[in-house]
Amino acid sequence: MPKIIIDGKEIECRDGIPVLQAALEAGWDVPHYCYHPGLSVVASCRLCLMEQKMPHPQTKEMGWAPKLFPSCQTPVKDGMEVRFHSESVENNQKHVMEYYLLNHPLDCPVCDKAGECSLQDYSEKFGNATSRMVEDKHKNPKKDIGPKTLLYQDRCVLCTRCVRFADEIAGTGELAVVERGSRGEIDVFPGEPLANDLQGNVVDLCPVGCLLDKQFLFRQRVWNLQTVPSVSPADSSGACIWIDANDAGVHRVRPRFNERVNEWWISDEQRHGFEYVNREDRLTRPRIRENGQVRGASWEEIPAHLRAAFAGDGSAFVISPMLSNEEAWLLATFARQVAPNAVLACGHVPVEGQDRSFPKGFTIRAEKAPNRGGVERILAHFGGPQMSFDELCGQAADGTLKAVYVYGGYPAAWITPAQAEQLSRLDCLVVHDLFDGPLTERADLVLPAAPWTEREGSFTNCDGLVQAFERARPPRSGIKAEGQFFQELCGLPGLFRSAKIRTMLGESIADLAETFQPRKEPEHAH
Amino acid sequence: MRDEDVIELKAPELTAAERLYLPQIVAGFRTTLRHMFLEKKKRDENMVQYPDAKRQVRIDNYRGVHRLNKDPDGRVACVACFMCSTACPAHCIHIEAGASPWPDREKYPVKFDIDELRCIYCGMCEEACPCDAIELTPHYELVARTRQEMIFDKEKLLHVFEQTKHDKPRKNPAVTDYGLTGNQDKAVARPTSQTKV
Amino acid sequence: MPTRWGALPNSGIDKNPTPVDRIIRDPKIVAAVALVMLVLPPIGLTAAWLAFGQPLLDLMKATDPAILQFVFSLIMMGLVLFIVIHLCAALILAERKISAFIQDRQGPNRVGFFGLLQPIADGIKFMLKEDVTPARVDKPIFILAPCIAFVVAMISFPVIPWAGTVELPWGGTLTTQVASLDIGVLYILAINGLGVYGVVLAGWASNNKYAHYGGMRAAAQMLSYEIPIGLGVLVLLLVSSGTLRLEVIQDQQTATGLWNVFLHPIMFLLVLTANYAETNRAPFDLAECEQELIAGFHTEYSSMKFALFFLAEYAHMIIGSAVLVTLFLGGWEPLPGVSLLHGNNTWWAALIKFHIFWGKIIGLIGLYMLVRWTVPRFRFDQLMKLAWKGMIPIAMALVVIEGVLVAVGIKVDPTAGFVGNFGVLAVHLLVNAVLLGFILWQLSRTKAPVTGRQDNLPEIEVVPSRPAGQGGVSHA
Repeated sequence: MPKIIIDGKEIECRDGIPVLQAALEAGWDVPHYCYHPGLSVVASCRLCLMEQKMPHPQTKEMGWAPKLFPSCQTPVKDGMEVRFHSESVENNQKHVMEYYLLNHPLDCPVCDKAGECSLQDYSEKFGNATSRMVEDKHKNPKKDIGPKTLLYQDRCVLCTRCVRFADEIAGTGELAVVERGSRGEIDVFPGEPLANDLQGNVVDLCPVGCLLDKQFLFRQRVWNLQTVPSVSPADSSGACIWIDANDAGVHRVRPRFNERVNEWWISDEQRHGFEYVNREDRLTRPRIRENGQVRGASWEEIPAHLRAAFAGDGSAFVISPMLSNEEAWLLATFARQVAPNAVLACGHVPVEGQDRSFPKGFTIRAEKAPNRGGVERILAHFGGPQMSFDELCGQAADGTLKAVYVYGGYPAAWITPAQAEQLSRLDCLVVHDLFDGPLTERADLVLPAAPWTEREGSFTNCDGLVQAFERARPPRSGIKAEGQFFQELCGLPGLFRSAKIRTMLGESIADLAETFQPRKEPEHAH
Repeated sequence: MRDEDVIELKAPELTAAERLYLPQIVAGFRTTLRHMFLEKKKRDENMVQYPDAKRQVRIDNYRGVHRLNKDPDGRVACVACFMCSTACPAHCIHIEAGASPWPDREKYPVKFDIDELRCIYCGMCEEACPCDAIELTPHYELVARTRQEMIFDKEKLLHVFEQTKHDKPRKNPAVTDYGLTGNQDKAVARPTSQTKV
Repeated sequence: MPTRWGALPNSGIDKNPTPVDRIIRDPKIVAAVALVMLVLPPIGLTAAWLAFGQPLLDLMKATDPAILQFVFSLIMMGLVLFIVIHLCAALILAERKISAFIQDRQGPNRVGFFGLLQPIADGIKFMLKEDVTPARVDKPIFILAPCIAFVVAMISFPVIPWAGTVELPWGGTLTTQVASLDIGVLYILAINGLGVYGVVLAGWASNNKYAHYGGMRAAAQMLSYEIPIGLGVLVLLLVSSGTLRLEVIQDQQTATGLWNVFLHPIMFLLVLTANYAETNRAPFDLAECEQELIAGFHTEYSSMKFALFFLAEYAHMIIGSAVLVTLFLGGWEPLPGVSLLHGNNTWWAALIKFHIFWGKIIGLIGLYMLVRWTVPRFRFDQLMKLAWKGMIPIAMALVVIEGVLVAVGIKVDPTAGFVGNFGVLAVHLLVNAVLLGFILWQLSRTKAPVTGRQDNLPEIEVVPSRPAGQGGVSHA
């Protein structure tokens, strides 16, 4: 562990990292655009320059070198002394900021980045209030560089983070800097739009409002959003995300640093695949079929109904891999309470193609459900009669099973017509799902489900890593969140808190009780 | 905030007579009675028989009902930056933004609702507006039969502008496009590499 | 930028008055109607007297005096009720006008000339407005509360000695007091104490936090301010040798011309102040203070139920003033120091007495209104402090002082007249002056502002301002 002195204060830092990273981790706010810990270092933005103590060439006396050094390119060395708060460093920051704003259109009012923009933050904190530029600003139109991304060239600071990302992480290299000097700009090659499966990360990487996501374009101002840590359910990798939401719904998903899974990145399906939670046609109230007539039901009458319908032999519960560990455990507990011989089955696991890996190790999993590992672990713990979902459908068709509880919760239609037909021959079919589909039409009891943004709990990813996610939005009016509903079914009092249930669950399945907390990113990194 | 900016206020010390209330109350009677009887003439001179006649108001800064200004081309001047709804202490402005249908403008309000019942007429929205699109007019007689009618939408706010632009012309039409766009055509341009995506 | 002034287009609401508007706003027509209304009743009464006077007198002479008194009492009750209800309406207009003038406004001036018909408009409005009973209120109590408030305000009037007694020419007397109770003063105190009952019930039944707060405040306030009133009555009992009859207390004042207000000016102020609090009027209207509680206990009330609360408040003002006039201000006697009408029990004297009594009541109500629009409202802790730390100790001291004076024989002699009792007056004034001096001395011992924080709370920790350089903006 090398020790270095920054601004006269000695700090201990990790080995082999640049001084900039060490300073950021120690709490310094050092302005920087081009440096990103996940990308190669180019030292092009010249904003993180520092002063360093060096021996005088002749006298060998230690003193501040007259030249400024890029702190992102200088690795830490034990005993080195640098400073960020000196006249020359601060002057450099001021003048570089003025340079960056020379041709900036200052259209913050219509820029989606406003509010989380490094140009705004740095010019307020390190820059000058005025510009000495008297000539007309250089205008540069916006470009449509890909199906999901727009490029506003005149806001660009040419940090080349996006170019390096496309080269190094995605490995596709669609982006490049074309032209030179003051005419330099980011662009794609002819006929090669920015369309790889990780391209959304360039929007997060962009420190200014240059690269913008078409999905989030003009949708909300960022200061009206509340940010909640969550885990993506789009595939089984368990990528950590931030959910940005407000009263109008969920608006954006951004990557959350996680050194064990996704580092700083997420795939586009994890980023853009949340829209279904905002759909208007979601189920919002329980329905019950009585004597052939469907009527709306209240949540209060449902537990008694379920206990009556599932008490006998031939009942089965389908526990979907979309459920969290806690919810799956509660549902299985209820199943064993009401019918000790009930069949427990893991729900349908959607799979698309093969796992796909990218050069630096980022992997998009083929399995498009977040918690198969957790559900199978819990089912193994409970034991008893178990079968796969396909077998269950077959038994439903031949009359071995009488009553089946199916939890769906998938973002898209998931059941085949044949399976739906098989299940519809049951005496009692309870469907707990997000949307109307072939199953809900045939069900005797339909319960509205809540998507993961409206629940809390933990997912076990494909590598067995248990990660907790928080609730970003309250359940939509009329819906009782799964955790609360299953808890009431089990007869547990009080409000559902996933941490409380996790402790109870941990008494029988110890390895699901501990959740993994990723390392926190430094406060001033971006 | 610097220490020299802090002014410490001390409660005044009161005399025994002041703490007894009664002399102060008598002094108060003097004031109220003076207004009641002695200043009657002054009162009558300054009286405005309100519904029949109206007081002269300062048109520039009277804070009455809002309007949404139009630019010289007759389009809504607002660029949907949400500054007004952010500044609004009463949370009475609801905006939905969208991509503008015009080539020289990025963003425009698809929906712009002001709940005039919730509004406290503080004028912060006008202060916050970077392109002088929202302004308060000197008109203060707002009546409706339902609460819904008092939620002014974009059309109604633009209509208020049409009604009031002769009383109070738009403050500074020169900054219509606020340098957001310049003179250049900002239609989605093709990449320099002449590629269609 | 130069300020531009302009008049907006007038709405012209009143440009086309209806014929009714024209008539009721024409001063000449109004004056003519008023003249007719002033002239007609005397003419009618005279005509009635000429026509039926003699038979009526004969009937009265022939009637048993007890029955005569009973009938007269009934008429008197009806008359007082009539006066109170109509005076309430007039007072509401007066209050609005007075507040308007104090605040340099015009007040109601649209209904009738000078707004004189406003009470009628108000009454019609109250009766025609939608009577909202919110969901989930305690309905029986919600309806009962304004009734209790109104009834309680109205049943105090019978014990007031409006105009003394009238000696009939053919022998026998009629008393204008409807009910001459042995416990007259206690009756008033008891009924006034009940006045808060309607308010508390209203606050409680409304199922509304503001109303609840208002009711609770009213209860605490009434409880506190009954005590100075009770102690004031106690002092008067000592002065008047222990009678509780209002007419006797009043007679003793008129006999000597030495009104109780001169003997006990401080006590008078205390009782007057406590009366303001009892009627829930500014500066003691914490039960309905608009800034904090919307409308306090009557937040949920509308239409006639609200009107009943309104009437009850004004009736309380009238009864409070009537009691003060009887106890302290010599009742129907026009001037202090001389006994002009004392002992004069003719029918015309009774008429004059009645008018003087009401005149004094209206004068006191004028003071009520002046106070309301002059003095700002107390904060609740100040209100409690004023009662418990200010008024009650002073009142207790006055009870002790008066007790000592009575014990050593310094006492009003009802037969000695004003001059004979001058020594007693001087001693009382001296004692009051000494007490006032003592109060002032006590008040001058601390200089802390009355409006400040409670003095025994710990110091507020001063948060130091941010050290330089840590702010979001660097001042380089």
